[in-house]
Amino acid sequence: MNSNQDALWYKDAIIYQVHVRTFHDSNGDGIGDFPGLEQKLDYLQELGVSAIWLMPFFPSPLRDDGYDISDYDTVHPSYGTLEDFRKVLDSAHQRGIRVIIEMVLNHTSDQHLWFQESRSSQSNPRRDWYVWSDTDIRYKDARIIFIDTETSNWAWDPTSKSFYWHRFFSHQPDLNYDNPAVREHMWDVMRFWLEMGVDGFRLDAIPYLVEREATNCENLPETHIIIKDLRRRLDQHFPGRMLLAEANQWPADLRPYFGDADEFHMAFHFPLMPRMFMGLKLEDRKPITEILQQTPEIPPSCQWSLFLRNHDELTLEMVTDMERDYMYDMYAQNKTMRLNLGIRRRLAPLLNNDRRRIELMNAMLMSLPGTPIIYYGDEIGMGDNISLGDRNGVRTPMQWTGGWNAGFSTAEPERLYAPIIHDPVYGYPAVNVVSQRESEHSLFHWMRRLIAVRKSSAVFGRGSMEFLYPANHRILAYLRRLGSETILIVNNLSSAAQAVELDLERYKGNVLIEMFGNNLFPRVRDLPYLLTLGPYQAYWFRLRRV
Amino acid sequence: MEDGNFLTDDFLRQLIDVGEADILVGLPTHNNAESIGPIVRTIRDGILRSFPRERAVIINADGGSRDGTRELITGLSISDMHPSSSVHALRTLHAISTKYANTPQSGIALRTILAAADLLRAKACIVISPESGNISPDWISSLIRPIYFEGFDLVSPTYRRHKFDGLLATNLLYPMVRALYGARIREAYMSEFGFSGRLGSQFLGQNQWNDGSVENGTELRMTLAAVTGKYRICQTFLGNKDPVERRAANLVPALRQSVGVLFSALETDYDKWSTISGSADVPTNGNAPDLLLDPLRVNRKRLREMFVSGVSQLESVFQAILSPSTLAELKGIASLGEERFRYPAELWVRTVYEFAAAYRKSVINRDHIIQALAPLFRGRVYTFIVENRSGSANDIANNIEGLCLEFERLKPYLVEMWKSKE
Repeated sequence: MNSNQDALWYKDAIIYQVHVRTFHDSNGDGIGDFPGLEQKLDYLQELGVSAIWLMPFFPSPLRDDGYDISDYDTVHPSYGTLEDFRKVLDSAHQRGIRVIIEMVLNHTSDQHLWFQESRSSQSNPRRDWYVWSDTDIRYKDARIIFIDTETSNWAWDPTSKSFYWHRFFSHQPDLNYDNPAVREHMWDVMRFWLEMGVDGFRLDAIPYLVEREATNCENLPETHIIIKDLRRRLDQHFPGRMLLAEANQWPADLRPYFGDADEFHMAFHFPLMPRMFMGLKLEDRKPITEILQQTPEIPPSCQWSLFLRNHDELTLEMVTDMERDYMYDMYAQNKTMRLNLGIRRRLAPLLNNDRRRIELMNAMLMSLPGTPIIYYGDEIGMGDNISLGDRNGVRTPMQWTGGWNAGFSTAEPERLYAPIIHDPVYGYPAVNVVSQRESEHSLFHWMRRLIAVRKSSAVFGRGSMEFLYPANHRILAYLRRLGSETILIVNNLSSAAQAVELDLERYKGNVLIEMFGNNLFPRVRDLPYLLTLGPYQAYWFRLRRV
Repeated sequence: MEDGNFLTDDFLRQLIDVGEADILVGLPTHNNAESIGPIVRTIRDGILRSFPRERAVIINADGGSRDGTRELITGLSISDMHPSSSVHALRTLHAISTKYANTPQSGIALRTILAAADLLRAKACIVISPESGNISPDWISSLIRPIYFEGFDLVSPTYRRHKFDGLLATNLLYPMVRALYGARIREAYMSEFGFSGRLGSQFLGQNQWNDGSVENGTELRMTLAAVTGKYRICQTFLGNKDPVERRAANLVPALRQSVGVLFSALETDYDKWSTISGSADVPTNGNAPDLLLDPLRVNRKRLREMFVSGVSQLESVFQAILSPSTLAELKGIASLGEERFRYPAELWVRTVYEFAAAYRKSVINRDHIIQALAPLFRGRVYTFIVENRSGSANDIANNIEGLCLEFERLKPYLVEMWKSKE
């Protein structure tokens, strides 16, 4: 795909997050693969997505679902070949769909050849590619992230009789970014994939690249120097490609990752996501408006990346203790739903399969400032399986049909990489692509329509946002503006019908055009604009002077 | 549901913005700007501490303040329109205000709060006096929790008072309500209290708001409505109660609002109270009511003088109200010197009951009956102070208990007088 068409393509994108393994199995081995994904690109085009984000597909022992990479230069044999990946890339580009891939810079698998060499002896040339220590007391101010499984950020290596540093699982040793050879080699890895044609990287666990004593080893200046160097090389050699940061941090700590538009193009807005769920349950816009009030301005070419759910738990790291307790009680009363500091559930079950709430959350996702990411299966309301360990309950096979293995694979069911959801509510006979395609009023078609309306205006991806603060706190209302175009968004967070008066004095004389039905609403006059909204209803209005 | 048309459009608009509420805190005010800020902050702290997840609202019913009271209260809302780094709240907490009249009337204030609670379908409501200088965040929990979590409908307060504070309650209201209605509610005329949404709605609907009585003693009416309606009632200990400085001239209005309301209620509630014998405790949370014993200067001489002159000047009025024997006894003690003067419990109870019966018969203008009780009450207060001047808390409690038992023992006398009319 010609990346020079529009260097800011990511601001207008609708991103679809998918794991190759979960999407479609073309060879009947029970595991999704690249040829299977290629077969389903028409579906994604029909849905209206403009980019796909592929989770790690590299060779890996798969002890962390591929985030433990053992070889950066090819694809996992279960998913096909490098050539298969190239075909997906080309086919996606032919459909106007860009491809963003995962890149785990912070750590490798302990099965990676680099680590095998590094641990083999203290004199090995790759010894310094990882962070080694004679003691486990260095960097003691760094928090432990996977508190449910790890007790220390250091692990003892009996082979070389010393400790190695790991911010995540102990089988994921951190690379040593103080070593110039590591930095150079990781750029080589990125260049390999960029030359093949990928449109961007989602860079995993980015705040943790560098360690320094007497710090929490997160967001350090040295980390930003490394990112700036990567960005400089990217812009120089591959203009129009994009870097997306995974940094689960508070907004003020996230802001430096945009730099002066010389670090990341995009970053996930992690703190917003739980507050959308919180606002919905509280029926109060306060959590949402407050976190966005605290969100700093970012350079014009940069963009927030928004999501409702992803492959991880619904993270509750960036909330207060009181908010976390509330979220647990409201969304994960069953303690098996909790993992680390989060909730391992999909969107539909989190919202009790309430179509109105699912629609409202997606409407907010698509209208708040940022680039929306849809997690695979959420567009048809797939469920989860909390009996599966870790986060595997939200990584079950895509449900294509009501037939054999949900149309995911022709393999015997016991050979599938994970069981298909088959409960009465979310099971594949009830929730699948084919049946929803045939039903005019299905969630799938509603999502298609939502995406189409979002794509009808550049305001959503590029416009400014201004909150209106109607006295009714159950109403979240904001104006999106770009040039002469203004769009008014009104969301009712309440389970009951609401009346709201909006101060639209500046737009006196304008008529409101409801964007989903293109119906005219009354002209704005001197008095506050009175609207009534049904339970969980969202309105998108284009304002037009007539 | 009571017709909410008396609420202003502006207030209704504010209620629409608040929406359904779990907890409602009513705050009647009139020119309380000097003290109201800390009280509202304490209420807010109490809500955030004990009920952070509940939908709560503070509703100010104001009687025409001109000192900025209303603005002070509404300015303490917690919302995204007024972000504060020092307040951490999960959700919006509205503090809204309405002016119900240009002059304060506690009954209309409470009616306004009740109507708001009804419209918002509030589950648990409390009313806080703007004079609650001793309020702590715990009060909010103490008043709401029994309703919200334990299914009570009325939470009446108890306090740690000075032994000579609240003498109208200890010498008349408490023992008389206890004897007649059978429930040992210490503060039937409540300044801080909690009530359930269902009690509030029922009271709002049944009360005769347009008969003029709305101005007085609605809080006491609500207590009695809860008792006669067999709602679940409890008491909760709120700690120290600041004595409110009251001038002698305030006694008659106080009697109107309390004793007048009680006497009036006896008429409508006759079928209920006349069949009750004895009394029962109501569940009490926290400490038992307690007394502070520190010395207090009281002008006893003036109290006795007012009693004596009252008995003398109002003799013709008393002849219409009291039985000849009671009046004779009163005249007898009025002639006693200061050292020997005592207004015994039995005589006091008989006096009060005869006043109640006279009130019912309207032997003279009812308001004059209430006014005529004032000098006699002062005589009783004199006696209470003398008898309990050096008593321990236990002694004083026993004396109050003795008076209560006297009210219970003589209840048939009141019933007999009531029947005699019939």
